Amino acid sequence: MATRREFLQLGAVTAVAGFAGAPALTAARELRFKGNKGFSPKTGEERKAIPSACWQCVTRCPFVGYVENQRLVSIGPQMNSIRTEGHLCAKGQAGVNQVYDPDRILYPLKRVGKRGEGQWKRVSWNEALTEVAARLEKLRDDGHPEKFMFHYGRMKASASKLIKSVFLATYGTKTIGNHTSICEGGKWTAQELTWGSHYDNWDIDNTRFVLNFGSNCLEAHTNHTPIAERLARALVDRDVRMVTFDVRLSNTAAKSTRWVPIKPGTDLAVVLAMCNVVMEEDLYRGEGENFLEFCKVTAHPDATVAEKVAVLKSHFAQYTPEWAEKISGVSADTIRSVAVEFATSKPACLLSYRGAVAHENGNDTERAVQTLAAITGNIDNPGGRCKAVGASWKYPHGPKDKPKAKKLKILDGFKGEAAFPTHHMSHHVLKMIKDGRAGRPDVYMWYCYEPVYANGAVSENIEVLKDESLIPYSVCVSPFYSESAALADLILPDATYLERWDWEDMVSPSQVAEYYLRQPMVAPLGEVRDFGDVCCELAERMGFPLGFNSKEEFVRESCEMTPGVKDVGGFEYMKAQGVWHDPKAKPKYYSYRKHVKLEALAGDGVILDDATGTYWNWHKSKAKSEEEAKKKGYAHTKNAYKGYVGQQIGTSTYSGFKPDKVNKSGYFEIYSSLMEEKGFPPLPTYTAVPSHETMRSNELILTTYKVNVQSHSRTQNCKWLTEIYHNNPGWINPETAAVLGIAEGDTIRVTSAIGEMETTAKVTPAVIPGIISVSHHCGHWEYGRYASGNKSPMASDDDPDLKRKWWVRNGVHPNWIIPNNPDPVNGQHCWMDTVVTVAKV
Amino acid sequence: MEHSPDPAGEPESMAGTALERSNLYGFLAAIYRQEPGPELLSRINEPETRAALANAGVHLAEDFFGRPQEDVLKELTLEYTRLFIGPGGHISPHASVHMEDEGVGSLWGESTAQVKCFIESLGFEYKPDYSGLPDHIAVELEFMEALTAREAGAWGKDDREEAGNCLAVEKTFLDKHLILWIPAFCEKVEKESSLPFYTEMARLTAAFIRSERKALTPPRTDRRRR
Repeated sequence: MATRREFLQLGAVTAVAGFAGAPALTAARELRFKGNKGFSPKTGEERKAIPSACWQCVTRCPFVGYVENQRLVSIGPQMNSIRTEGHLCAKGQAGVNQVYDPDRILYPLKRVGKRGEGQWKRVSWNEALTEVAARLEKLRDDGHPEKFMFHYGRMKASASKLIKSVFLATYGTKTIGNHTSICEGGKWTAQELTWGSHYDNWDIDNTRFVLNFGSNCLEAHTNHTPIAERLARALVDRDVRMVTFDVRLSNTAAKSTRWVPIKPGTDLAVVLAMCNVVMEEDLYRGEGENFLEFCKVTAHPDATVAEKVAVLKSHFAQYTPEWAEKISGVSADTIRSVAVEFATSKPACLLSYRGAVAHENGNDTERAVQTLAAITGNIDNPGGRCKAVGASWKYPHGPKDKPKAKKLKILDGFKGEAAFPTHHMSHHVLKMIKDGRAGRPDVYMWYCYEPVYANGAVSENIEVLKDESLIPYSVCVSPFYSESAALADLILPDATYLERWDWEDMVSPSQVAEYYLRQPMVAPLGEVRDFGDVCCELAERMGFPLGFNSKEEFVRESCEMTPGVKDVGGFEYMKAQGVWHDPKAKPKYYSYRKHVKLEALAGDGVILDDATGTYWNWHKSKAKSEEEAKKKGYAHTKNAYKGYVGQQIGTSTYSGFKPDKVNKSGYFEIYSSLMEEKGFPPLPTYTAVPSHETMRSNELILTTYKVNVQSHSRTQNCKWLTEIYHNNPGWINPETAAVLGIAEGDTIRVTSAIGEMETTAKVTPAVIPGIISVSHHCGHWEYGRYASGNKSPMASDDDPDLKRKWWVRNGVHPNWIIPNNPDPVNGQHCWMDTVVTVAKV
Repeated sequence: MEHSPDPAGEPESMAGTALERSNLYGFLAAIYRQEPGPELLSRINEPETRAALANAGVHLAEDFFGRPQEDVLKELTLEYTRLFIGPGGHISPHASVHMEDEGVGSLWGESTAQVKCFIESLGFEYKPDYSGLPDHIAVELEFMEALTAREAGAWGKDDREEAGNCLAVEKTFLDKHLILWIPAFCEKVEKESSLPFYTEMARLTAAFIRSERKALTPPRTDRRRR
């Protein structure tokens, strides 16, 4: 008919608005290019959309849930989130299954018969809380509140503030365990030793090259979806190159421009060799050299940049690529070329995670990684490795008069086991209780935590938790009947994250803080209660009301007192929108370069420490007088870091790299006097993993990994996820398999020093020779029928999908044979170091 | 493809193109929304409109323009009613009736819900006093009119992201919806109409939708990664 031009010419003369009848549509003020709406596929009816936040993994993405006839029917992305930019992973979408898991615990349960026997009776909340409050009151009144141990797995944002900072603090116990040492606590300690408060955000949106040591961030990460979607975009849209060093061809390695296979526990050698290349070939010049001004590289804080360069050149000279090749199996040419590409692609982003750091030499691996980023100028810059930015909520602090809290010294492992267990040693808590020399809790309560399943040495965990002479009374707070819940005396059924209130604050990959809310999708099922609400009631019962009666009230008050959030409408705004960020906020970079105002330096109690060049306020430390503070000095006064004000560099004072948990100076410390004083080399230095040095020829290294549709312990009851992933064979390289006489599909026995397990062999070149790789996630023996095949007590049969469940195997759990082995510097559980033998059954 | 919308194009010419497209969508929406009124007819009667219509291959007989307006309006009103409203056999101007798998008579079908969902998900709302069904051809063309107008505004502000978003949605709606039923619908109108006006408008509509789709589909290129 007509050409395009003729159509457009016709369009030029056919404006008919105003006399062509009433239009049917009104346009919104702003076009929403992305959804946040849901419709019933059956009726077309719009579903009730409720913005909230995920809890399936620690990333805690904002999402929108859709409710039809008071039932949560689907969960989709929050399109207005600046963190996720409208993405939600499979785990997030399968959250629906958490609410309607037929094996959920819906009522408080009290053990009858022996512990672990599986005999329960339903009790009322009144009976349960009367019992708990009586025990806690007695401990407190006897002067031993510390004998109430509270142990959490995931407790973040408002839940953490309400439960830990308000309830437990007002009660008076500091015997509070966490789980970070079985996660990546060691990485955080290494960061605290170098640049202060932990967490590195990878500024993927602005980077030109990505170098990755041991992170499977396209599948699982503490900021998974926000990082993964940005990384995918960088790789596909911007042709950003990415090189991944990993023992296994993870999906992240597979999607990288290049996968470089590497022997477990040798990333440190490669990173040190890359530092060598950067220094030898003068690639530090420019940004790296400029950054060195803010680095501590020698024992003397006032060394010149030239002196620092000389020290680094001399220190790294020993770590040639040829040397690293012998250790790691990565060719010297590869090390050299990747180092050059990393150093010359400006900016470039350096990634590291558990594959690199969950080893006995993990602390210096992360310190070396930090150093490599530093000497190439890729620290806290656009496109580099940045200091984390998250929301800063205000919240009600509860009763003003809080007792001086006490604690049992069972959180950080045995004396001398780790030099800086700044994130504790949760995997040794049960061992410490068994040992008993540092005391034992009378009441052991755990929350959103799986002490039996999540730590290594499962048999020992069971043994301790089961023993009433070691733990007289145990309380499990959980929505589900897990392996740990099965060993409790009392189970308090917790609300799932889809039935409760919270404010949230996870790190934003865009360097602009996002404030977001979690709100109930549906009324809690059965008699379950959010533990935050339970804390309010327990406090009331024990005579110290918290000043708010529920988590909802706590969250509402927080919204009304937090700058920014309160200005746009506070709680009501957050309930309607779910997310908020300051539209005028600029991404935060180079925070260390801020000058400290003179008034701050002249403040009451602020003194300059000559040895480190650090300004600090001794009032905030444990020092009793200024004289004592000066005499002991910044580095040696307990909690001096809490008074940190700024760092003198040359003639200026900068905000620098603010310390956290250790008395580090405000420099970016490549050279750590703290390490030196504990008898470790001050500069990042190679040590081999001891157990790998003494391996016999028939032995392999067991490594673990994660997949994209499960979290470590608490998603296997989600039927949609477990239908996809429920079995975990051991990956073995064909060369290794041939030597061991193992073929694809063979049943194999994997034996370590503490136990054995059976699985099937997956013979694949996607792992390096000499290892066996088994995922986490599988092998539950409780947690309901979808996770383990075992029904929980008082479960219902009303889920029609129970009949459709077709999978029989639930895989194996490697933690039975992985001993709890702490990193000597930071106490991190060395997941990837276990030496095993593998044989065909 | 000099007139293809291209997010990397020159904002000024892109704004012009989007506005012209928007006008034509609006014009076609007006044709199907209701029986023509005197203003619309006058607009069609203007010499430059007549010329542009002729150029675009729309051939209205001389007597269409020559006869008294009231007579033409009456004739068109009767024909509009006969064609699109009834009573008796008529051609339903609703998408779901013409979509594959839905069959005749499936008013408010599954696709209707999808269209409503799609339109609303972008932030548009059906006016409370709109009594028609969500997938009437006039509503769908009006939706495209509004989107392209928004695109034109975005180009005007050099907001390439918003313009690109608009283009993406237009393309989706063309690909996943309009192309699946409008040409078939127009063919039926062409056959059924006893007046050249509706025959010609149906031909114009189908041809424009096809041209739109072609223009919004980028030429195939080798997209292999380096």
